[in-house]
Amino acid sequence: VSRRAAGGAALLACTGLACAGLIAGCGSHPARVTSSGPPPAAPLSTSLSTSLVTAQGTWAVAVMGGPDAGNEFWQLFFRPATSGRWSLVTPQGVADNGGMVAAGGGAYLVVGFRPSQNLTFSPLATSTDTGRNWTPGLLDARLADTPGAIAVGPSGRTLALLQDGTIEAATAGSAAAGRWAPLTTLEALGASAPGRACGLEGVTAVSFGPDGNPMAAGSCARPGPAGVFTDAGGTWRSAGLGLPAGGRVRVLGLTSLAGGNMALLAAGSSRYAAWWDGTRWTVSAPVTAGGVRAAGFGPGGSAWLLLGGGRAEIVAGAAGGAWRALPPVPAGTEVLAPQGTGPLAPGTGGSYDALAAAGSRLTVWRLVRGAWAKVQQIAVPVQYGSSG
Amino acid sequence: VPGMNSGLSPSDPTLVAAFKSALLHQGAIVLLMLAFLWLLWATARTWRPAASPGKGGTAAGGAVEPRGRWLLRTGFGVLWIFDGLLQAQPKMAGGLATQVIEPIAASSAGWVQHLVSWGGTVWSYHPVQAGAASVWIQVGIGAWLIAAARGPWSRLAGAASVAWGLVVWVLGESFGGIFAPGLSWLTGAPGGVLFYVAAGALIALPEGAWRRPRSGRLVLAGLGVFCAGMALLQAWPGRGFWQGTAGGKAGTLSGMVKEMSATPQPRFLSSLLSGFASFAARYAFAVNLVVVIALAALGAVFLAGRPRLVRYAVWFGIVFCLADWVLVQDLGFLGGLGTDPNSMIPLILLFSAGYLALVPEVSGEMAGVSEAARDGEAGGADGAEKARDPGKARWLRPGTLRGLGKAVASARARSVAAAGALAVIVLGAAPMAAAAANRTADPILALAISGNSSRLDLPAPGFSLTDQDGRTVSLASLRGKAVLMTFLDPVCTTDCPIIAQEFKQAGQMLGAQAGHVELVAVVANPTYRSTAFTRAFDRQEGLTTVPNWLYLTGSLSQLGEVWRHYGVAVQNLPAGAMSAHNDVAVIIDPAGRIRQEMDADPGPGTSGTQSSFSVLLSQYARQALRQS
Repeated sequence: VSRRAAGGAALLACTGLACAGLIAGCGSHPARVTSSGPPPAAPLSTSLSTSLVTAQGTWAVAVMGGPDAGNEFWQLFFRPATSGRWSLVTPQGVADNGGMVAAGGGAYLVVGFRPSQNLTFSPLATSTDTGRNWTPGLLDARLADTPGAIAVGPSGRTLALLQDGTIEAATAGSAAAGRWAPLTTLEALGASAPGRACGLEGVTAVSFGPDGNPMAAGSCARPGPAGVFTDAGGTWRSAGLGLPAGGRVRVLGLTSLAGGNMALLAAGSSRYAAWWDGTRWTVSAPVTAGGVRAAGFGPGGSAWLLLGGGRAEIVAGAAGGAWRALPPVPAGTEVLAPQGTGPLAPGTGGSYDALAAAGSRLTVWRLVRGAWAKVQQIAVPVQYGSSG
Repeated sequence: VPGMNSGLSPSDPTLVAAFKSALLHQGAIVLLMLAFLWLLWATARTWRPAASPGKGGTAAGGAVEPRGRWLLRTGFGVLWIFDGLLQAQPKMAGGLATQVIEPIAASSAGWVQHLVSWGGTVWSYHPVQAGAASVWIQVGIGAWLIAAARGPWSRLAGAASVAWGLVVWVLGESFGGIFAPGLSWLTGAPGGVLFYVAAGALIALPEGAWRRPRSGRLVLAGLGVFCAGMALLQAWPGRGFWQGTAGGKAGTLSGMVKEMSATPQPRFLSSLLSGFASFAARYAFAVNLVVVIALAALGAVFLAGRPRLVRYAVWFGIVFCLADWVLVQDLGFLGGLGTDPNSMIPLILLFSAGYLALVPEVSGEMAGVSEAARDGEAGGADGAEKARDPGKARWLRPGTLRGLGKAVASARARSVAAAGALAVIVLGAAPMAAAAANRTADPILALAISGNSSRLDLPAPGFSLTDQDGRTVSLASLRGKAVLMTFLDPVCTTDCPIIAQEFKQAGQMLGAQAGHVELVAVVANPTYRSTAFTRAFDRQEGLTTVPNWLYLTGSLSQLGEVWRHYGVAVQNLPAGAMSAHNDVAVIIDPAGRIRQEMDADPGPGTSGTQSSFSVLLSQYARQALRQS
């Protein structure tokens, strides 16, 4: 009887096996693409594309190639102060698919390469001769993904903001040898008195103050204060910048000026420029904008914002300048670059070049009498497929 | 699914050639084994003619095998052999993991992916061994099922079918996709191999169980529950089966059939599928309604178990399943890298066998019932055979060694064939088990990428460079050790870190011999070449603790000389591109002579190819040590 029962049990087991598939099948449902909660807010700044001005001329960083990420190569262009012609000066010897960050100070132009694929640290390149020759340097860590991740002082002293929010410093010589000294970390800065006061969430830019001390700027969780800090001999203090309108403030960019600094700020849908003379801040009237595609600083306290839909806004010259809209920029514009290296006439905002990238071709448009005119084309020898 | 993809093309000529070669070699061994068994048997029969079984089959004096069991055994035997032959397709070795296993696993739950990843990794690390093993195991099980008609060996064949079927169902079919969305009876849920498992379990039952109508009723009841469940699933709203189009896209059924029709296959089949896809798109609701009603009706009839109704239902089911097999499943093995004819043929066999078990033929099968009653549940046929031929009964008892010669002489041809089939399975399973236990990949992957290396016997050009710690290292200072040498860019984003890992792993594989081998890299970047970069690279790759790792650099002129002597072209490229250089590995013996030069391009750089290169490098290092 027991063997007979065993046979029946085995049959039942087979039946159960067939049913197991059925039960499991009933339990699975087709995947549904669902979304919950409000749609994510438009990013404030999504690109490392920017421009900067040094005594030698204007530099512009733009991404070219594509369309897939492995074929995106970041390029550095330079226009001498004495010429209207742009040239390609991207440092050689390292793949820059991960992004490029450039900063100038004194005679130095420092470029940092963000790591990509199997590379986990950031090579650097420094030029003192308008990009003709480059000296390699090393940051043995991941450089942050923000255009303000590097700052260079007049002596070549360099600050680097890392991906994890750490800030490190090096002299020109020690950066070449990869010797950096940590200044602070996101945690330490957030735990400091000014960091707690603003509810520091992240660091977005580094710079040097008028006294040559390091500065850091970021995003605040608390409404009102802007997260701009100065390092006074190892103690970080608030630079005292706040927006009267309140709201959570994020610093889009921070740069040094002669005797002061300038910051680009975002609070809600308003964008501001703020100038510091070392003792007090002056804040511009707001300009309303959604996402910021790119931003940069010009000479003499000017700045530009590239917004969606071909919209561009500039703020000129001295403290208290007002935002002014440029004519809609040409299609494919990656970056705006102010002409000239000296202070612009108050209220004019100066004139601008718009650098438009399409694959391996860069087109330079110049704002002439209120309209964009094509003035130059550069064929960039993008090495498609060279990065795997 | 991590680890599963070797990154190589399934039609890679090196892989295909190696797979064919393995099949030919193992095929020759199979023939030799079978010839040996036949010779052994024939010799034993010659020496012990008295022990030879008399003429006349099982049917002569005892009960015949129940028809349902016979159908399952031979039907699934043929299916296993057919599946085994499908496994011999040239692209199977390189393609099964990526084209069969990975797509199903990718849409399954995370824990399924984790489980399946193990099997997929074993396959992608050892594609040739695993591919060939699958052929022989499946052919062996099929032949065993067909050859062993009765008794314990036949039941063991059923158990083998269960065991291998489960392996295939879990690792090859990701549980038949039951944990993935879009499950449908039409497309083969819950996995064709699960029916092989069920059939194997039924074959493994004592024969006596097959002689009672109750068994047939139970089998049909199981199938009835299955059909009813599938009907419910098919009718479930929101799964896209009721709609011909949804949101401008084809409905679930029509979309799938249309996709199948576009795959390479005979034109008439493609047209047939394309036509049905259009029909299903236009009359999706009606088509699904017919499917739901048909499945529900089959389920109800099978559950009721009334023989006359079941008979009609079986005939209807055969037609219905064949229609689905042709119009939806594209015969199962067409359209891609087919591994089996999918679920419909096994399902037809199962419910046909259930019906035959429900209505046993009175003449032979019922005679078995009375014998079973006499001999106990071990099976009437076994008892009958035992009484008829005691020598054979002993031979059939596993573990009995006494009187082996007599047993061999008295064995029937079917038993010898079954033993041969079992040997074929072992032939397949042994290398597969060895491959599964080996955590390093087959060097064939590296050879497929880099081609055969050049065997050389040349004096290695000398050099004097600086290592990562600032010490001067010359080739002369390494005399007495084998040197695995390559050229790496410290700021490379793609190949160089992978090559460095291959070298590191090769060093680990050398074990105690690693003390006699130096792993040497020379900087291959004209700009980023200082020791700051070699040290940063070492930290990045975890090489700082590898005692025999040297990353050498020098002035541009020093490096240029080494590059030139070793045939390495290094060049900075414009516009943000990585510095270019050719990937090469040189193996220098302890006497300072170049013994081997290979293309070190890591190819796709998967864990499989990386491990494979390491195996190759360690083999070359051992050869260099022997050659000195």
